[in-house]
Amino acid sequence: MATTKLGFIVQRPGVKSENPKLALTHAIASQSVEIYLNDGDLVTADIAFIGDGVLNCKKDQKPEYLDMSTTESHIKMSLLLDLNVLICKEDLERFGMTEKDVVIDAEEFGADIEAKVVPYEEINKMMEDVNHLLFF
Amino acid sequence: MGKLTIGCFSSLVGSTNLDFAVKLSAAAMEKGHKVDLWVSGNGTMLSLTAQRAFKDYSYLEKTVTELMEKGLNVTACEACAESRGYHEDHTLAGVKRFSMDWYLASSFDADRVLHIGGE
Amino acid sequence: MKLAAFVSDYRNTVDTLDRLKPEKLGIILIQNGVYHATTKEKGNASPVLGYSADYYVLQEDLETRGYTSADVGDNIKVITVSDVVDLLFNDYDKSAWL
Repeated sequence: MATTKLGFIVQRPGVKSENPKLALTHAIASQSVEIYLNDGDLVTADIAFIGDGVLNCKKDQKPEYLDMSTTESHIKMSLLLDLNVLICKEDLERFGMTEKDVVIDAEEFGADIEAKVVPYEEINKMMEDVNHLLFF
Repeated sequence: MGKLTIGCFSSLVGSTNLDFAVKLSAAAMEKGHKVDLWVSGNGTMLSLTAQRAFKDYSYLEKTVTELMEKGLNVTACEACAESRGYHEDHTLAGVKRFSMDWYLASSFDADRVLHIGGE
Repeated sequence: MKLAAFVSDYRNTVDTLDRLKPEKLGIILIQNGVYHATTKEKGNASPVLGYSADYYVLQEDLETRGYTSADVGDNIKVITVSDVVDLLFNDYDKSAWL
């Protein structure tokens, strides 16, 4: 039995680019990866939003104009699936944003865990801890 | 010898990231490493068959086909391909199509992962 | 961690590099990232060259852009794609494409 930890680092804003959404959908795919693995083997996905990437976490994104899912809904889905979602505190502050402005929970989805607004140092620790980094 | 998993999300035409990914794959295989190449997002353009070579654009069909014959494992994100109209019957012979968990499974036992995000 | 950071663009990479604090950092300049090795703006070297890191630049990407190894400082090692494989497997345990 082995576990491989992946760290998904989202550093760009979304909507115009599909990049952040692909980071989230790939991270969410960690929940179905077992079909390719031996019993007991795991792949875990931690997601961190840094730099301009924190803008993906803004609340109240309206999907109807583009008729596409939002990074907000994908973050909520990640929380429902118990993925560790970290949002860089210093970068939020750079944009004059606080926890109140970003997706923290997904109660309406039935998620038990919340996204965490953390100092960059915490994200650095996560990057040290994982086996592989995927920068989006 | 080790295993290298490369994920590339950039377009075949409009970027040279895939050119680098394929060259790196070839160099790693030359040294005896096993290489998995996952293409997702715009990178799924690499999986298209009947690419036509023009001198102004990247063209990798011939190189990728030769590398696959030598053991390169190329897999395209099925949803990303389908969303672009790249259907099964447009797919280059030898390229597999799976959902995103394939990439994570490949990363599971990879010694090294190089993730080349989109632009 | 021992991190190989690939810099493939000429702009917008300093912010992330500033914050990476690996035990060992290698900066591999490829594609348009090679301009960091070859180009000065108003006489100043690129800030990307200001980190405590081992620097590498991909020879074929230099030459594709009209430069040679003679255009690159002594602190930057000119390498091939084959060398990149060895760096990834032997010198660094993680990579970041910035």
